[in-house]
Amino acid sequence: MTDNLLVHAYVDGELDPAHALELEGTIADDAALAAERDRVQALRHLIRDRLSHERSPAKLLGRIESAVGLRRERSQPSWGMMAAAAVLAAVVASGSTWLTLRSQPPNTTAEMIVASHLRALMAPQPTDVSSSDRHAVKPWFSGRIPQAPRVVDLTSEGFPLVGGRIDVIDRIPVPTLVYRHRQHLISLIAIPAAGANAPERQTIAGYNVVDWSDGGIRYWAVSDLGAGDLDNFAKAFREASPDR
Amino acid sequence: MLPHLDDCYRLARWLTGERADAEDVVQEACVDAFRGIAGFAGGNARAWVLTIVRHAAYRWLRKNRPAALVSVVDLDALPDAQPGQTPEAALIAKADAARLERAIAALPVPFRETLVLRDVNGLDYREIAGVTGVPIGTVMSRLARARSRLIVALGVDEP
Repeated sequence: MTDNLLVHAYVDGELDPAHALELEGTIADDAALAAERDRVQALRHLIRDRLSHERSPAKLLGRIESAVGLRRERSQPSWGMMAAAAVLAAVVASGSTWLTLRSQPPNTTAEMIVASHLRALMAPQPTDVSSSDRHAVKPWFSGRIPQAPRVVDLTSEGFPLVGGRIDVIDRIPVPTLVYRHRQHLISLIAIPAAGANAPERQTIAGYNVVDWSDGGIRYWAVSDLGAGDLDNFAKAFREASPDR
Repeated sequence: MLPHLDDCYRLARWLTGERADAEDVVQEACVDAFRGIAGFAGGNARAWVLTIVRHAAYRWLRKNRPAALVSVVDLDALPDAQPGQTPEAALIAKADAARLERAIAALPVPFRETLVLRDVNGLDYREIAGVTGVPIGTVMSRLARARSRLIVALGVDEP
């Protein structure tokens, strides 16, 4: 990427702090680049001051409301039209409003765990710390959350460690370990909870979820793995000694 | 009720070049948005609405200004501003609005929409890439080329 493009990205605030600092150093030694930065900044300010305050004409809103059926002179809008118009108003007003309208918020722990797993799959990477070394992953949690989770090496059982992240379940930050089995990721979430129960399996939105309690921690494993493979994972994790 | 309406209008106004046409385009886009509401996947509502406005504006351009839509291949062949013609920053800062508007209107559509989405609408590069359907690298080069053309245009004496 040429320095010229980087100057634009710098002026637009698109460079991360390290690259911004580096470019500032380059600009300090290069008068032509400094002049380019000044020109781009001057142009941005010019456009912002002169053009970015233009408002839409007041009559436009009325036209649009008529066009989408919010205002109908002859007939009453149908309930369906009114509902759709309300949703349109909500989406144009705010994406988050729309999200809350679209579906009921997840209300059970299992649903929140599936949501966290899905979110992690969509993120650029499913972990905040990426390491197959449990001695690197466990300390990462210390200092971030009150209790670091039990981290075991299950590579020999076919479940190599990918890393860890922190999820927020029911407003509490909790440690999540990420394991892999073939091309499938498994999120293992550890939530402090009293009691002991044997593994139970359920399916939510096509994802298998297995949960069990052990030593004051309730574990939730979620994955798109087959039920049998996920049961094997839970069994391997429960039987593994942390000191191996 | 429609806080993104001004953003929609500004984009349509710069893509069509005419304020009256922009109103038609925004109205059409809102009807499209209304019909397509079920397809909205959540997330960035402003970028979603601007994408629909852009589609409506392109339909309008194809119908009314077909010559304005040069192909991307032609775009790559366009010569860029030559270094050495670039004016001082102070001269750019003093340019008047009418001159700036003429310079923007003279930009090829892909450059113009990238510039408007960034500097008028204030979208970030990732959002612009999503709205215009091109990679971020293309957004960056189009933005740089659009700006360098404006800088040159604002620096030379008007005929």
